[in-house]
Order: sequence, then C-alpha cells, then structure tokens
Amino acid sequence: MTSRFIRQLSFFAPAAVMSAWGTVMLHTFAAGRIQELLNPMFRSYVFIAGVILLVLSAIYLFLYEPAANPAPALAPTGRLRQLLRWTVLLLPVVAASVLAPSTLSATTMSNRSAMNSTTGVAAMPTMGNATAADVKQALAADPNQPVPVEVTDLITLARSPDQMKTFVGRKVRTVGFIITAPNAAPKVLRWMMWCCAADAQPVSVELKGPLTGTYKDSEWYEIVGTAEFPSTLGQVSPRIDIDSVKPTTEPDEPYLSP
Amino acid sequence: MFFAAFDLPTAPASSGISWPDLALSFFAIVLEGAPFLLLGAIISGLIDVFLPAGLVKDMLPRSKTQGVFAAMGAGVIFPLCECGAMPIVQRLIRKGVPPAVASTYMLAAPALNPLAMFGTWLAFRNQDPWLMVVLRFGFSVAVLIFLGLWLTGLRPENMLRAETLLGSRQKPELSPNPGLVLAARPGMSLGGLQQFTGAVIRDFTGVLLFLVIGAAAAALFSTGFNRSLLAPIGQSVFFGPLAGILLAQLLCLCSTTDAFIIAAFAPFSVPAKIAFLVAGPLIDLKLYWLYRSTFQPKFVHGLWLRALAATFILTLFYSLKP
Repeated sequence: MTSRFIRQLSFFAPAAVMSAWGTVMLHTFAAGRIQELLNPMFRSYVFIAGVILLVLSAIYLFLYEPAANPAPALAPTGRLRQLLRWTVLLLPVVAASVLAPSTLSATTMSNRSAMNSTTGVAAMPTMGNATAADVKQALAADPNQPVPVEVTDLITLARSPDQMKTFVGRKVRTVGFIITAPNAAPKVLRWMMWCCAADAQPVSVELKGPLTGTYKDSEWYEIVGTAEFPSTLGQVSPRIDIDSVKPTTEPDEPYLSP
Repeated sequence: MFFAAFDLPTAPASSGISWPDLALSFFAIVLEGAPFLLLGAIISGLIDVFLPAGLVKDMLPRSKTQGVFAAMGAGVIFPLCECGAMPIVQRLIRKGVPPAVASTYMLAAPALNPLAMFGTWLAFRNQDPWLMVVLRFGFSVAVLIFLGLWLTGLRPENMLRAETLLGSRQKPELSPNPGLVLAARPGMSLGGLQQFTGAVIRDFTGVLLFLVIGAAAAALFSTGFNRSLLAPIGQSVFFGPLAGILLAQLLCLCSTTDAFIIAAFAPFSVPAKIAFLVAGPLIDLKLYWLYRSTFQPKFVHGLWLRALAATFILTLFYSLKP
C-alpha cells in the first residue's frame, strides 16, 4: 500500500512541479507582480513559458503512466531522493512568490552603495527621443505646471548641457523613495533594473530644502520642486529644491529601465 | 605600487541581509532564467528528434584543436543565454559532439555573444567604449583558447556526469535522467511527440534543480554583500582585477547586461572592470550549479580555477603595462 502510494506520488510529482511553476508564472504575470520583478522585455517570455509548462504537464499525464523503479529508495535514482528533488523544485518558488515584497529595502540599498553615490548609473549622453518629445509637450502645454520627470532624466540632463538649459529653474515633479542619513543630504531614489530585480541598482538625486518628518524607505512620495544643476569641480550633479512632498501610490512601473 | 590605494576597508562586509529582499531576488532570478531554460530544453528536444546522431560530429574538423576554434566561432554566430545552453550542450554531447568541443561552445556562447559586446559599447560610451569592447572580446578569446585546449586533453569520463556520459556512450538518443522514469501508456505510441516531450521534460526538470540552487546562492550575495567593501581595492594594480573577479562571481549577472552595472562602479579601474566582464560569463556562483547538472564536481572546480586564474593573469599583465 505504502509503496503503491509512493509510486503514484512519484508519478504525479513532475506534473505537479511543472503545473506549479506554470501557475506561479501566469499568476505573477496576470496580477501585475511581474512589473516588480522583471525588465519589460522579459515579461512576455514568462507568460509563454507558463502556458507551455501547463501544456507539458497535461501531455505528461496523458502520455505516461506510473513506472516501476527498482533502485533503492535512497539511491540517487531512488524514489525518496527523487521526491526530495521535486520538493526542492516546488517549495522555494512557491514560497518566494508568496513572501517576496514589492520593493527592495534600505538594507539592500545600503549594500548596493545607495548612500555613496549621487548617480549610481552611467547616464545616457542625451535624453531619449520619446522622453524628449514628452517633455517638450509638457513644457509647451503649461509653462507653470511642473514637468513630470524621472530621477534618471535629471541625471541624463546633467550630462547634456544643451538640454539642461531648458530645465534650469523649471518646476519639476518626480516620484520615488526618500532616503535620509546623518550628515548627508536627503535624496529621492529609484531602483533601476536591467534584467531583473536581482540586478537593480539604486539611482538618486539630491534634495534641498525643508524636509521634516519621518520617511519610510518603502513608501512612495511625490516631490515637486525646482530643478538645479550645481557644478562642483567641473562635475554637474542634479538637485531638486523642494516645494512640496506628499505620499503617493506606487507607479505603474516601480522600476526604471534603460 | 601593488598596494596603491589599498586601505583596510572600514565598511562592514554586509549591512545585513533582508530575507524578504532575498526572496524577491531569488524569485526574480528564477523567473528570468526558467523561460530560457525551457527554450533550451525545447531546442534540445528538437535536436533529439530531428538531428541524426553523429551529423554535427561529421561536420566538425577532425582535429580536436580545430574543433575548439570552430566551437568558439559557433559561440559568436549562435549565441546562447547561460541558462538555455545546458540542455542543448547535454543533447549535443549525446548526439556525438566531442565533449571538449561542446563544452567550449557552452563557454563561448555567452562570453562572445555579440549582444554582450554591443551592451559593453553602450554601457561605456562615455568611457572609451571601443577599448572596453576590444579588451573584453580579446581577453575572452584568449581565456577560451586556454580552456579549450585544456578540455581537449581531458577524457570524457573525467568530465561528464554518469548520466550524460552513459547516454553518449550507448545510443545518443537515449537520455537517462536520474529517477525520472517515463513509461508510455499502452496504446499511446506517438513516436516523435513522445520522444520530444520526454526529452523536454527530462532536460528541463533535470537542469531546473541546479538553476534553483544557483539562484539561491546568487540572491544571497546580491542582497547581502556590501559592494562598497571592494571600492578601496578597485584601483589597486594587483587587487583590482581580483576584486573584479570576486564581484562577478557574487553578482551572477547575465553577459548581456553586466557591463551596465560595472560601468557605473567608479571605484574600479579598467583592469578590474575587464576582469569582471571576462570572468562573469564563464563561471559564477549560479553557473557553477548549472554546470554541475552536466559535469562532474571535480571538473567544474578545475574549470572554475582555470577560468579565474587565466582571467586574473591577463588582466594583471594589462594592469602592469607601462
């Protein structure tokens, strides 16, 4: 009875693992959590892989049946070792999908040197065409309204003297986390992702002005202020002179991508 | 000179580990890698069904040394992601491709990937991009030649795991995967479809375990290791390349995007950055476990040692140039 149960379990284990992975992938995609995990160019692959895995598990159940396995239970090809293998394949990914937070914490920020660099990334030499077009449109629409920019836009502008001129003294609006530290200027920070959250690097722009209260590193804030580009020893660094700071919701794309 | 700019680091090795962040990083790595692993398994299944045994071997030069160079060329023309390469390389070995040649291709595909070179140019466009591309490609070729020639001197039974070796020794189309016994239902004789799906399921689930283990190791260090610890030695002639190699082992980045990370790491010298870019695609914590799915542990350790030693020696010589 026990050996028959184990035999059945061994047969269904591969299908269970493939189905679990497929379901986790599809759920992550459908629920929008994929935006917190992967660069946009990889997201559709997760959906496709999820569908294929579910199809594969169905084909497996259709084409195959429980087979005899004469190897001893604890041998590398034995049933118990194999069940342990399937458990390792099943539990971590399901646990991670449940336990993973929506954003990285200050501990990881610190380990990835968030407080030591103003920029954190190699900026584009000029603003991208699409972004530049959006900005032109915003500038033309209402000169008195703050121009929506990302942290990376300000960093890029600091390296592009011609484009920077149009922003000096302009009101800007940006969204990000606020990080503060003793003996250091507060900063607005975003995570920049190349492939996935594991390679995300913090990018930040200095803030100037009154910043009272306590700010949680996992909460989103909207900052409105004046863009400045002070130069120190020939190095231009962007800065926002704060007008207002207020809590806001997580943006559609919590990570920036190049 | 050797110890220029070398101060004992004042930063702790870690600001602590956030376990939720570790879960997030782990989840992101497996979600990114698993689709490519599945793609590799599907290609492997197609190879199993449609590629006649021995055909690729017949197309290769007879000399193993020439075969290594052919494999490096194939790595440029047919680049692969590290995750997707393993099932394909396993299948090629079972179809009669000499293990030395297949292994060289496995190493060359991510290291000489044209997209990786383009990404390097883009990432360093403000920092002498052509120099970085030439150094990355040139040093990678040099290390691959060294590794490939070493591989030609090894016997397959000293390289491959038993299940990989057994399949290639008996019939290339047989593919024993430890413990996954696939018995067809009576009356369900669908020939090619059964062979294809069996190969895909075996190859995917066989390598997936090692991706999970590697992803866990990579997530641990990507979230828990304080990178500024390496900053003080990044400019050192001797320790700079070592720091670059160490960082590459711990961060486990894809070869197509690693240049963007290291380009912004100001404390590192050019040799340190090149060491990072050359060593990373060849082997790191994640790849170590992926390689274990096909190769014996002793061989993987030897590969790890030689790849890093060759990278270090080349970048040290560059670092010492007047």
